[in-house]
Amino acid sequence: MVCEHCKERQATVTVTQVVNGQKSEKHYCEVCAQNFHPFNLDFHKEEQIPIHQLVSNLFGLPVWNSGTQEKAQSTTQKSAKCPTCGFTFRKFLNEGKLGCPQCYETFGKQLPLVLTKIQAGTTHSGKAPGKPNHHNEWIKKQIESTREQLQLAIHEERFEDAAGLRDEIREMERRLERGGVDTP
Amino acid sequence: MNLEHFLKSGAPGWMDVKGLDADIVLSTRIRLARNLDGYRFPLSFTENEAHQIDEMVNEALNSIKAEGHKFSHFTIKEMPALQRQVLVEKHLISPLLAKKEKSASVHISNDEAISIMVNEEDHLRIQCLAPGLQLAETYANAYKLDSKLEVHLPYAFNESFGYLTSCPTNVGTGLRASVMMHLPALTMSKQIKVVTQMLARLGMVVRGIYGEGSENLGNIYQISNQVTLGKSEEEILKDLQEVALQIIKNERGAREALLKNSRIILEDRFNRSLGTLKYARIMTSEEAASCLSNVRLGVDVGIIKDVPLNVLNECMILIQPGFVQQYAGTTLQASERDMYRAKLLREKLNLNNQKLLEKGEERYDV
Repeated sequence: MVCEHCKERQATVTVTQVVNGQKSEKHYCEVCAQNFHPFNLDFHKEEQIPIHQLVSNLFGLPVWNSGTQEKAQSTTQKSAKCPTCGFTFRKFLNEGKLGCPQCYETFGKQLPLVLTKIQAGTTHSGKAPGKPNHHNEWIKKQIESTREQLQLAIHEERFEDAAGLRDEIREMERRLERGGVDTP
Repeated sequence: MNLEHFLKSGAPGWMDVKGLDADIVLSTRIRLARNLDGYRFPLSFTENEAHQIDEMVNEALNSIKAEGHKFSHFTIKEMPALQRQVLVEKHLISPLLAKKEKSASVHISNDEAISIMVNEEDHLRIQCLAPGLQLAETYANAYKLDSKLEVHLPYAFNESFGYLTSCPTNVGTGLRASVMMHLPALTMSKQIKVVTQMLARLGMVVRGIYGEGSENLGNIYQISNQVTLGKSEEEILKDLQEVALQIIKNERGAREALLKNSRIILEDRFNRSLGTLKYARIMTSEEAASCLSNVRLGVDVGIIKDVPLNVLNECMILIQPGFVQQYAGTTLQASERDMYRAKLLREKLNLNNQKLLEKGEERYDV
C-alpha cells in the first residue's frame, strides 16, 4: 500500500483514530508518520485518543485487550523485562504508563521514539535535584540565542531592537553572577 | 486543623485576595509530579510500598515544619465518600486520589494554597494555587517546597529524562501549569473555537473546571501546558503566560464589542440571571453555572453593582453536587440536589444583599 500522505513511499505505519465512535485508519510511510504529531489533533474534543492507543498506533501495533495480552506477548520476540516491576515494553504500550522509575533505564532505547511524539524533545533541560545551579545552563543558553538575535539586529540596522537585546543580555549576565534566577 | 476546617467554607482563604487580571483569570495552579527512587509507581506497587511511601512523605514534611510549613494530614481511606467529593470539588484532591484503595493521603496547608497528594498516579503531586494570573509567583512557591523536600526524599531522577513519572506525558519537569479563565465574551461571540484550535497547535490543553466533559460549563476554561520534556520550567511558564495574556486581550476586546453592539440584550441577560439565582426554587448545576457566569460578566463590566466577586467565587464552588449535599447534611438524589442548590444560592445572594442594604442605610443617615 502507498502512503496516504506523500503517495510515494510504501505505507508501513497504521494510525487508528476513533472520533465520535467512528473508527478510521490511515496508512503512512515511516517518514510521514514521523511528522504526524498527536497534538495537531483537537485535544479539547470529548473523544480524546487515550495515550495507550496513541503509543500503540505510533508503533503500528494493535491495542490488545487484557485477555489476549498474554498470548500476544508469547508470540512476539523476547523483549526486555524491567527487573524491578516486570513491565515489558509491550505492557507499557498497552497501559500507556510505566511500572517504576527503573523502566526508564530498561526501555531507555525505545522510549525516545514515543517521547518525540508527545513531548517537545527527549532530553530534560530543567530543574534537577541537588543542583541549584542547573538554571544557569538555561540562562547561558538564553544569552547565546539573544546574542545571535543581537547580531542579526545589528546586521539589519535595527538599532533600537539591538539596544533592547543588549540590555536583556546584560540583565541575564547579572543574574548569572548572582547564581541563578531571582524568584525561587 | 481538622477536616471540618477544609469542608465548611466554599471559597478557600487564598481566593479572597484579588490577583492580577482577576476579572478574567480566576486562579493559577502549579503541579509538580515526583516519585521516589527504588519504589514502583502506584499503578503497580504493593500496599506495603504504598504505606512506606506515605510514611516517608509524612516524615519529610515533619522535618521541614520548622521552616514555616504547616500541613494537615488526611488519610483517604478514613474519609467518608462525601467529604472526599467536597475536597475534589475544591480541587484539593483529584478524583483519582479520592477513589484510591491502597494507602493514599493528602497534606493540605491551612490556607489551602498548597496540597500534596501522596500515591495518586505518582508518589507525590505537589500543588500550589493562587488567585488571578500569577504563574511565576506560584511556581516559585512550588519550587521552594520541592527543593526543601528533595533534601529529605530520594527523588527518582535521570539526567536525560528528568523527573521520572508514571506517565510519559509528565516526565521531565513534571510540571503542569494551569490558568482558570472566565471567557464568556469569547464564547458568546463564537471565537473560542479558534482560540482552542490555536492552543492545541501550541501544545496547550483546554478543559472545563467542573470535571471531564464540562468544557463549556459556566464559560470557564482551564488552560494548561501539555509538554513537560524538552522545555525548561521557565520556557513552559513563559509560553503559558504569553498565551494567557493574549487570551485576556482577546476576551477584553470581545467584551467591549459586545457592549457596544448589544448593551440592552446583555443588561437583560445579566439581570435575568441575577433574578433566577436569587429567586429560583429548582436549579440544575448547568443553569447555576451559566447564571453565575452572566452575573460575573455583569459585575466585571460594571452593569451589576451590588454583588461582590468573592460571593460569586464562593457560589461557583458551592453549586457542585458534593457541596450541595454537604450543605443539606445528607446524600441526595439529583432532583433533590437541584432544590437544595437553589436554596443555597438564594441564601448566599439574598443574605449578602441584605447586609449591603444595612450598610447603605447607615451611610444614608450620615
